Amino acid sequence: MKPELLDPIEWESITQVIDIEFGKEVTKKLLGNKTPIVIMKESQRNIYLIPLSWMNMLLDESPEDFEYHLIGKQLGVVSKERFRLSLQILQELAGLTNRRLVVSKKAAEAFTYGRSILKESVIRFDENLKRRQRVLVMNEDSECLGIAALSGDKLVGKNLVDIGWFIRRLG
Amino acid sequence: MSSKELREKAKSIAEEYGYLPYMIERYLTLWGEDETIQFLAACEKPIRTAIRINTLRAKQEFVVNRLRNKGVKLEKIPWLDDGFYADFEGHSTPGAFLEHMLGYYYVQGVPSMTTVEILDPQPGETVFDLAAAPGGKTTHIAQKMNNEGMVIAIEQDRRRMASLESNILRCNVVNAVILRGDAKKIDKIGIQPDRILLDAPCSGEGLLPIDPTRKTSKTIADVRYCATREDELLDAAVSVLAPGGTIVYSTCSIAPEENEYVVDDILKRHPEMTIVHIPLEFGISGYLQPYGVNLNKSLKLTRRFLPHLHNSEGFFICKMVKEDNA
Repeated sequence: MKPELLDPIEWESITQVIDIEFGKEVTKKLLGNKTPIVIMKESQRNIYLIPLSWMNMLLDESPEDFEYHLIGKQLGVVSKERFRLSLQILQELAGLTNRRLVVSKKAAEAFTYGRSILKESVIRFDENLKRRQRVLVMNEDSECLGIAALSGDKLVGKNLVDIGWFIRRLG
Repeated sequence: MSSKELREKAKSIAEEYGYLPYMIERYLTLWGEDETIQFLAACEKPIRTAIRINTLRAKQEFVVNRLRNKGVKLEKIPWLDDGFYADFEGHSTPGAFLEHMLGYYYVQGVPSMTTVEILDPQPGETVFDLAAAPGGKTTHIAQKMNNEGMVIAIEQDRRRMASLESNILRCNVVNAVILRGDAKKIDKIGIQPDRILLDAPCSGEGLLPIDPTRKTSKTIADVRYCATREDELLDAAVSVLAPGGTIVYSTCSIAPEENEYVVDDILKRHPEMTIVHIPLEFGISGYLQPYGVNLNKSLKLTRRFLPHLHNSEGFFICKMVKEDNA
């Protein structure tokens, strides 16, 4: 598990996925002056953003007897040819996009337990959102709780990932 | 007290409190009977929950107000910048709060927070955190560095990787590198770090107030095994530390064999290392003559937390620097 520079074609495809869902040039802003790299973990490709100054150490002098598990800021994971955003990046992303649903306190709490969002729980949303669009789920304090996919009339946001994962993952 | 009397006394106390007799024999030799009883009684009491506010996610005042508004009672820990005793009584567990999921705080033992405060990592530096899982100290180091520079977190146990990674993401640490491997081989990384934190895997004898199974789970052979491994880890750490660099060695053991003895041996083998004063007001000095063995006098600069004196888990902390021309 040695870090590798991300193939430009793969980066282009990730950029398109993020920008289509969350707005033009959002990925460029998330990248800033960093470089995207990848670490393979089983069948997953974990995408990280690292400072340019780390490149030599990580790529040229990769240490023997040690496996890399994480480097820098996690942008997301490619699994089964599908890119999923990392929970780490969501709060930063929330400051760059208006693809957001603001939900009531009760719905916000339920969302962090893996529940989806019902129509009556939505307090604010962008009028231009489309069905199947991925959106950030926010509470009334502007805190990002996860990602939902817009769906039907009653159930408006299907939970894709939420910050309760941090707790559930560790049992 | 003759050794026969000591053994008989230890056996009787061990039976009463549910410990292995060898442990009580050592406590009686170190502290005498009265203090041993105080120690054993303190180990039956719960330890105060503490949290560290994670300023990589939110300002301290903001988080304090949020938690107080939810009824959590907070009391600042005097020698820690972001540490608070936290009383969550009447609420769900501290880990289930929204603020915890958002990474606003980390539930962490007071001695653990103290090690990083003593290490005092600076923005832009390179820091090693050895035996890093579950990541409390790694995330604290990154916080002190304001996410600038690099903290290399090394952990060997594959099963503990998930918690380390998860806490780094939750706390929004972006200057960390996680490496899985044996910290005894850190020379192969090819970096001389400015600072190293070695909170060594130990026998856990200081965790008696948290883990009552420790009363009977480890033999003296286990303590000796841990001491050997700690010595090897500290030796490896000292060898790669940059000239002028700082190392903090700590364990959650109260056993002198895993603490003062280990450091005393390192000082003999590495004259380039010096123990330095810890400029924080907590705990008591390390031991200079545990079990009657004379050790390096500078060990008085090391610090100990003890359950019966500090209402915390037992802990040992030593800060050393490497000479500039080493």
